Amino acid sequence: MFLKSLKIILFFLLAAVIYGAFLYAPLAKGLGEYTRVLYFHVPTAWITVTAFAVGALFSGIYLKNKELKYDLWAEAANQLGLLFGVLATVTGSIWAKMSWGSFWNWDPRETSIFILLLIYAAYFALRSAVEQADRRAALSAVYDLLAFVTVPFFVFVVPRIYSSLHPDPIVNTQGKIHMNGKMLLVFLSSLSAYTAVFFWMLKQRIDLIGIQLKIKQLEN
Amino acid sequence: MQPIYVVLIINIIIWTGIFSYLLTTDKKIKTLKKKLDQLSNEKNR
Repeated sequence: MFLKSLKIILFFLLAAVIYGAFLYAPLAKGLGEYTRVLYFHVPTAWITVTAFAVGALFSGIYLKNKELKYDLWAEAANQLGLLFGVLATVTGSIWAKMSWGSFWNWDPRETSIFILLLIYAAYFALRSAVEQADRRAALSAVYDLLAFVTVPFFVFVVPRIYSSLHPDPIVNTQGKIHMNGKMLLVFLSSLSAYTAVFFWMLKQRIDLIGIQLKIKQLEN
Repeated sequence: MQPIYVVLIINIIIWTGIFSYLLTTDKKIKTLKKKLDQLSNEKNR
């Protein structure tokens, strides 16, 4: 009952975020109408980092416990991370077309997310290349931990070292969020709603993995 | 109708679709779990 109410709240929260992004929040100076993508693009990027962090955590637990389910949980989290990463890239690219005149400009921010997506695509390539379950789990857990080390570097460091056209200086000067109260309300609501959707999706994948493992157990 | 309202409505429709899909999947997972529990109980008897 509690979870059901949470889901209903989530539905209305994200619907309110959509309404707020288009009709309630004012536009940022210098960004104009393109401000609206902020409420969808930043949360998808945030979820990408969160999902990869959760994936790395499960990989670490696998390496400690050697229980296969944690490796499968890590795979599920990384799948969602890659999905949200692609969404962040697409929404960013649409914004770039409107603002910079081209879908892809090899801006440091675009280049770093592209490399990050390639690193995680290689994780899945590695998984599909190894047939033996234990060996695959161990190799991909180690790779996942190494891959996650690069996440803060590519997401937070690289775009700040090189001069970028990414509009951080407008909404995020000195690493602090300088937003109008209405914008901040919609932005934080969007972050919370996206995070809830991510954990809901992850829970479904984890449940399905549990079912899959139980079927295997019943077959033996 | 102003284009912004069209975009807003499309976004709401997409979100409603994703939400309904997640709810349906939730229900299916619950049913599967129950069936599996029944099967494993029968096997254990």
